[in-house]
Amino acid sequence: MRILVIAMVIATPLVAIFGLRNDFLVFIAGIALIHMLWASGLNLLYGFTGLIPLTYAGIAGISAYMTVHLVMRLGLSFWLALPIGSAAAALVGLLLSLPAIRLRGFYFALSGMVIQSAFTIAFVYFPAYTNGDTGIASVPRPTGFDGGAIPSPYMECVLALFVIAAVAGIGLTMRSRFGRTLITIREDEDLARALGINVTLNRTAAFIISSFIAGLGGGLYAHYIGFASPRAFDVLISLNLWLMVAMGGRGTLVGPLLGALLLAPLPYLLVQYTWVKDVIYGVAIVLVTLFLPQGIYGFVLKRKART
Amino acid sequence: MLEENLLVVFSVITSGLLVGTIFSVVAAGLSLIHGTILLPQAANGQVFLGAGLLFWLFGTEWEWPLWLAVPTTFLIIGFLAFACEATILKRFYPLEDRNISYLIITLGIAQILSGIYTGTFGRISDTFQVTAPVNGFAIIEPVPIAYTRLIAFVLAGSVLGGLVAFLRLHRIGRALRAVFQNREAARLRGIDTLKIYRFAFLLGTAITTAGGILFALAFALDLTVGWTISLITFSIMIVGGPGSVVGALVVGLVFGFTQAIVSVFADPTVATFAYLLAMLAMLFIRPSGLFAK
Amino acid sequence: MLGRFLPKLSVLVCAMAAMAGPALAADQPLKVGWNSELSGVWTFFGNACLDGARLAETEVNAKGKKIDLIVQDNQSNPAQAAAVARSLDTQEKVDLLSGPTNADVSLAVYGYAEDAKLPVLMPVAAFPQLTKPGTKQVFRMEPDAVGWGYAAVKFIKTMKSDAKIGVMMSDFAVNRAILAGLKYQAERDGIAIVAEMLFPQSASDATVQTAQMKAKKPDFVILAGGGAFDATLTRQMLDVGFKPEQLYHPYGSTKQIMTWGERSIGSYFGTFFDHNLPNLTEQGKAFVENFRKVKNYPPGYTENYCYSTVYLLNELVDKGAKGRDGIRAALREVNTKEVTTGVPIRFDQNGARIEYMYLMQLKSLSKDDFKTEKVNYMEWSPEVLPVYDLVR
Repeated sequence: MRILVIAMVIATPLVAIFGLRNDFLVFIAGIALIHMLWASGLNLLYGFTGLIPLTYAGIAGISAYMTVHLVMRLGLSFWLALPIGSAAAALVGLLLSLPAIRLRGFYFALSGMVIQSAFTIAFVYFPAYTNGDTGIASVPRPTGFDGGAIPSPYMECVLALFVIAAVAGIGLTMRSRFGRTLITIREDEDLARALGINVTLNRTAAFIISSFIAGLGGGLYAHYIGFASPRAFDVLISLNLWLMVAMGGRGTLVGPLLGALLLAPLPYLLVQYTWVKDVIYGVAIVLVTLFLPQGIYGFVLKRKART
Repeated sequence: MLEENLLVVFSVITSGLLVGTIFSVVAAGLSLIHGTILLPQAANGQVFLGAGLLFWLFGTEWEWPLWLAVPTTFLIIGFLAFACEATILKRFYPLEDRNISYLIITLGIAQILSGIYTGTFGRISDTFQVTAPVNGFAIIEPVPIAYTRLIAFVLAGSVLGGLVAFLRLHRIGRALRAVFQNREAARLRGIDTLKIYRFAFLLGTAITTAGGILFALAFALDLTVGWTISLITFSIMIVGGPGSVVGALVVGLVFGFTQAIVSVFADPTVATFAYLLAMLAMLFIRPSGLFAK
Repeated sequence: MLGRFLPKLSVLVCAMAAMAGPALAADQPLKVGWNSELSGVWTFFGNACLDGARLAETEVNAKGKKIDLIVQDNQSNPAQAAAVARSLDTQEKVDLLSGPTNADVSLAVYGYAEDAKLPVLMPVAAFPQLTKPGTKQVFRMEPDAVGWGYAAVKFIKTMKSDAKIGVMMSDFAVNRAILAGLKYQAERDGIAIVAEMLFPQSASDATVQTAQMKAKKPDFVILAGGGAFDATLTRQMLDVGFKPEQLYHPYGSTKQIMTWGERSIGSYFGTFFDHNLPNLTEQGKAFVENFRKVKNYPPGYTENYCYSTVYLLNELVDKGAKGRDGIRAALREVNTKEVTTGVPIRFDQNGARIEYMYLMQLKSLSKDDFKTEKVNYMEWSPEVLPVYDLVR
């Protein structure tokens, strides 16, 4: 049943891709898929360990810049550069998990916000790798087997495969011992310690996996959009990703997918409405928090449990 | 050469004090709200910006006199804060772990406000410079200080001083402190916590408004300032300890002076890194805040 | 959402059907996809530009619709700008793109347009790489920012041949480009740069830096803060004892100039259009008056470039250019004058325009106007500077 729902959510952009045959909507579907990947990865931390990583966009940015650098300057294949960039992101994630040893909940989120700001300034300040505020233009699309850029809509299908793989991976992880351990830690850290669980180790592991997914999304994003710039990876992006998870329903596999599907395309679809989109976005956030505090999918689950 | 060095030293002091106290005022407003209601007010930067923008609109663009421009700004923001508390924020008071819900909601409100500013003020200009109520300089040999900045500093200091005195001496202020020291005990002593919550939210918002007006006096505003201020004041509030005005003041000054002193030896970007690092370090050393209860 | 898109889809289907059928009607207006910063960091620039363009659009369409601006918001975000370019290309089927005013956003549009073979006429984007060698689709109205730095040095050299200068800038792409040109030319012209300060984008105070700058005793200081910081920086420089005659802004838009404050009267700035210029054409004067009627302040170079962009397109339409290939070919061949100032418009093989700059001195300032005096005018070929090596 749950698999069916997941399949339906992931299939929605694919319908846009093959059903509507509209170049612009295909592009938005691709954007939505990348955000689904990110939201799922962020959910691994926020949903299953309770940490709010507001450094998420920064981590993705590090992988994006690394991948772009490897491809454009050193001529590596995108498919070789992406795992290297993501590994770098995972490594940074390892460092960023350190504050979690000491800081909890809201305080951890705040430390993330501070670190994220430092990232953004660093992306501007060290132009040798990032080209500063200017950003890097004309980033090539990922290449296919024939060595040429993968054309739409096949590229979007590749993105969908990434999402499926990530969701499947996270789903399996959650069923494993490791996943159950994480949930125990989230529910009651003291109890977990009393049971002899190494809290720090488990949480760091989750951080590394989640950061790796952030990195995958970052590399794909830069090469999909064709541009990398500091503003694409700033604190507002981190906040938006977190909102997608919170709005969709944290701690479920479907929730983040749903949140990303609803929120990510919004700014692209409202291009004629300029500032109104901010207001709509804000009102949606307030209403969902007021009336669906567990997120949209959390609400659905609760309704089902009641009947 | 001596005179030039003296100028730099003085500039560190004036910059550290002015930037420090203004940010302290905004952080104190935030701290009051979070300390009392457990409400991390993420829209505080946008409230701050709104205050500055309205003050600019009334005082500079429409050329109202100060005695009309300032109270009108307070009234409008106060009314909006009241409406927001009565319709949205109130609903979460019974919840134990409301701070995350509040964070999400206030981020939503911040988006709404930011959109409104873009659609209105964004059409008018990209810089909002308030006309100085008084021109000229105070000369503290050999250093000239613009009167507006001096006034902003004095007012910021008075707001903080007044707030500390109010919390310690006045009946309601004492009740407020009782709530953020121990909610349960306060309730048992017959303090109406819901009323105190509302009062704290309004007072905190008023102080943020004052901060916005003072900032507009001393510097200039654009529409990106809101997010920057949010970030800095959140850090100051947490490091100082939620609910502690003195904490906000001390950490605000540390922030102001770190930036000013590092600027002497390194470029401004490094100075920004330095204060971010200082914030992080303090957060690690005492996660609950330096001046927590 | 679907409600908004279904009509568009049907239009799309009809358009495709029409293309298969007889050729399009000859008097169809030129469809200009206006990819603009209407929200986000650069909201005001996007809006100012659009104000100028809309005024021109109304004027040229007074007797029958010739130009159709299709405006979409890129939210000052490169990713969004690429998406908007795609939307204008594939949904709206525009004949060309225009509108972006900022470096990173216009670079994102550049990337899309060069791939999609869609011509772009950039109204106010100064980043040199927009017309790097090999550029096929992009044409740029504004001289590149490296040249602005060059002009600053050349100008200061006319004031004092062995001047010492200081530089204070916010860390934005356009300012880095100016700095690159400035350093390159200063080295060659024997102008010493005694201090160089780059501020992060979020900076709001420069008390310490201005005092340090004072200690370095430069003859001139070049100031380019971002947003509100420009006003603060200018005031704090005056506070610390610099004379207004020592301050030079490499660019000045109307609102920006008006926030420098009365004390900055006497300071210098570079620009490409000013309503006080003596050489305004009749149409230029009318533009200033008509703009004032709508906005209550005089237009600056941003508004002027966007106004002239629409008029340039109008001229091409009058000469019979249509369709993407037609417009691109016509832009390549263009040899005309800016309608407001008479400055020549010609593009080199990469789409760059001849470089020029007006050097102005601020003479008076009121709430909704300011007076300036032209102190210098310079013209140079883009080749005098290795712009594409200096800035990437």
